[in-house]
Amino acid sequence: MRLPGHRLRAVVSIALVGLVAALILAGVDRLTRERIALERERQAQAALVQLLPEASFDNLPRQEAFELSPGPFGRPLPVYPARRGQELVALIADVTTPSGYSGDIRLLVAVDLAGQVMGVSVIEHRETPGLGDLIERRKSSWIDQFRGRSLDDPAPERWAADRRGGTFDTLTSATITSQAVIEAVRASLETLARHDPDPEPMP
Amino acid sequence: MNQTATTAASDPPLPIRGVSQGTREIWANGLWQGNPGLVQLLGLCPLLAVSNTAVNGLGLGLATLVVLVLSNCAVSLLRGQLAAEVRIPAFVLIIATLVTVVDLSLQAWLHDLSRTLGIFVPLIVTNCTLLARAEAFASRQPLLPALHDGLAQGLGFALVLIALGAGREMIGQGTLLADAELLFGAWASVLEIRVLPQGWGLLLATLPPGAFIGLGLLVALRQHLVSRKTQGRAAAKSAGQSA
Repeated sequence: MRLPGHRLRAVVSIALVGLVAALILAGVDRLTRERIALERERQAQAALVQLLPEASFDNLPRQEAFELSPGPFGRPLPVYPARRGQELVALIADVTTPSGYSGDIRLLVAVDLAGQVMGVSVIEHRETPGLGDLIERRKSSWIDQFRGRSLDDPAPERWAADRRGGTFDTLTSATITSQAVIEAVRASLETLARHDPDPEPMP
Repeated sequence: MNQTATTAASDPPLPIRGVSQGTREIWANGLWQGNPGLVQLLGLCPLLAVSNTAVNGLGLGLATLVVLVLSNCAVSLLRGQLAAEVRIPAFVLIIATLVTVVDLSLQAWLHDLSRTLGIFVPLIVTNCTLLARAEAFASRQPLLPALHDGLAQGLGFALVLIALGAGREMIGQGTLLADAELLFGAWASVLEIRVLPQGWGLLLATLPPGAFIGLGLLVALRQHLVSRKTQGRAAAKSAGQSA
């Protein structure tokens, strides 16, 4: 079949644009891929340092990551072990709850060997600015109330926002957000408690 | 579309000195008469979604400006080379490629900035301003006017984003320039101004309906200014005729 001249020109020109676009993208991807992975790792490591005192661990917890299954909210729970020398210091659960006011909230929950919370950090969320986003540490100290808590302190039925009869402070006009974070922390503690506290690092 | 085109044409040109007539028109068109956000009503998807704070507006505005300038230049350089039937798919390909290149480069070399702008950059693909400028302007003009047009339209869009973001942030959160440190580094946290006491904000302004209401008010304000100006001129003209 012979294409008329102008059709051929159209096909050739769009094919050329597509080819050049593909080449440019492939080139930029090659150029940036390694740096992007490096930067992401650096960022993730910085988030861990916020959670645990910097001198308390000396490994790269994310490189020894493993998953606990079944985890909370029907997904496996990624866990990063923090060690000092060979000794396990803390487990950091990377938990994502779907029950936020506007979608997923992703938290890091650091738990020591006695099952006490060492710290909680919000890494990703889309909660309402000015209300729900007070769960971020740089906006308010609300998230610090979990420090030192464990599965039996408070009792399981009191692991809720105080608006809902629990022990924990409720952020004003953000009961759903507060409750979602509280439940995510408790669910992480439960998942960690159900499993061996010091599994071998993944090969 | 026709309606906006006539409105734009009947507005008087803005007096901008020191540039040639054509360039002046390009800038007046981008910033006021044919402003992509207020007159052409293009790019509403990112405009409404990301204008909840002034800093977010500024972030998306800057990112859009960069991509719009690049895409205008690329399309202008390719003008006459593309067969007419496939020019639109070709523009879409060019825009998508540029957005991806900018996104990847930000992630690699300005990672902290990309963490803030990161969610905005892919949104630029959904901004019809880029396609509209490619089709209506850049594909028919040499490089230099296309560059000016990209800058002017991008700046016009960014200003609307910042105005809408600042208004929604002030009314909704009671602050101005909150989170500026995410864009400019740690020193910028001093830029945050508290306009209303904590907890006094009107939540509606930050939520999606606030975006629609806010943009509607901005469009109305612009129309009001334009009609007052034309009425004033008409009155002066008739006064001059009767005298």
